[in-house]
Amino acid sequence: MDVLFPSRRGRLLPIGLAALCLVAVAPRPASAQTVGPAPKPADAILVASFNIQVFGESKLAKQQVVEVLARVVRRFDIVAIQEVRAKSDEIVPSFVRAVNADGSRYSHVIGPRQGRTVSKEQYAFIYDTNRIEVDPSSVGVVPDPQNKLHRPPMHARFRTRINPVEMAFTFWLVDIHTDPDEVPQELDALVGVFQGMQAARPDEDDVILLGDLNAGPPEFKAFQRIPGVAWAVSGVPTNTRRSKTYDNLVFARPATAEYLGGWGVLDLQSTFGLPLEHALEVSDHNPVWGAFYPAEVRGQGLPPMAGAPPVRR
Amino acid sequence: MPDIQALVATLSGHDPEARAEAAEALCRAGTDAAAAAVPLTRACGDGDERVREWAVAALEELGPPPAGDVAALIPLAGDGHPLVAYWATTLLGRSGGAAAEATAALAAGLESGRDPAVAERAAWALGKIGPGAAAARPALERAAAAPDPRLARLAREALAAIGG
Repeated sequence: MDVLFPSRRGRLLPIGLAALCLVAVAPRPASAQTVGPAPKPADAILVASFNIQVFGESKLAKQQVVEVLARVVRRFDIVAIQEVRAKSDEIVPSFVRAVNADGSRYSHVIGPRQGRTVSKEQYAFIYDTNRIEVDPSSVGVVPDPQNKLHRPPMHARFRTRINPVEMAFTFWLVDIHTDPDEVPQELDALVGVFQGMQAARPDEDDVILLGDLNAGPPEFKAFQRIPGVAWAVSGVPTNTRRSKTYDNLVFARPATAEYLGGWGVLDLQSTFGLPLEHALEVSDHNPVWGAFYPAEVRGQGLPPMAGAPPVRR
Repeated sequence: MPDIQALVATLSGHDPEARAEAAEALCRAGTDAAAAAVPLTRACGDGDERVREWAVAALEELGPPPAGDVAALIPLAGDGHPLVAYWATTLLGRSGGAAAEATAALAAGLESGRDPAVAERAAWALGKIGPGAAAARPALERAAAAPDPRLARLAREALAAIGG
């Protein structure tokens, strides 16, 4: 029987995931020597979202910041990134090289520059190729013909590599950063985005919308139009100042029965022993994550001892 | 808490490196940077990309500007640099009814035809001002018939918010 441990900021987790989180909360200086890729649980993949505020040349030039960012990414199987802001196309490739400096094997896909003004942002997914692969033909931007979204979401379809292909968990990720001045309108539009992605392929029922929503669950009324909607993060601040819940992972039950009920907010201050001022140099957002079973779950639900029981919200 | 006034002084200096660092520090100040709303809006027209991007990021997070900033933001809403005009317009909209005196400037931005993003944000801002922006009804009615679906929608929403 699995032993359950409380995560630092999240739900009860099976022992493998809890061990990962206990590592996460142990203070270590940002300059600590890297010692090779950390082991990841065999019975779960960890999908994260991280708004790396103004992720551009000036942030990439700060070695200590890059080291913290790299250590964040290495904890997860996939990280949906928001706020890549640079004219250079080398920001994310350079960063992935830093992530892989310890022997990790991460890769990335990145979207086009988006935004209504000359100040543009890009979305990106960074993923561990040892455990995850992407369908290159699935990478794109959600159409927004009515121009309802400041930065239309980027989508990509992923598959786990932990299990044989015929058992692998496949899923859409839809990366979003809403406009803070038009949150209700954009959340309303995201309902259509979500349902459009659910219908995009007859062989894919798993859609995970994740990112910086600039809103928390009390403002998710529009999402109730999605049958079985659920979200990972609730009741815990996700910004670095620990005052707002802005970031989340949204999915639907029973389709995404692979959600294990484990989630968390990786608090930059406590995880890396950073004072607030230094944590804010990394980002004004903390990463958020959810745990998913790495094999497709059909019909009878999760196999025994495959994680904490899911909770409907 | 950072010295906001010192950062504002640096933000208007000659050294682009120092200006970028000041803009980044103001961004990290969060809502405390509201006192620098007007200088940050001007910084959106800086020649250095880093300054512009940090200024934009700061403005996204700082919430409504101080009430006393409305008068200074009104001329910036008509600035020739579209990013300056966009953010001045946004801050006026965040000011809500307190920015009623900006109605004429926002109506001009709505109809100037210089930048679609500024026009759309002007429609949004007039809706945020609400009944105090009644003088902009004719401009909003024209915009509500625009072929651009977003501009037309925002204009209709603004007219509903203004009422009457």
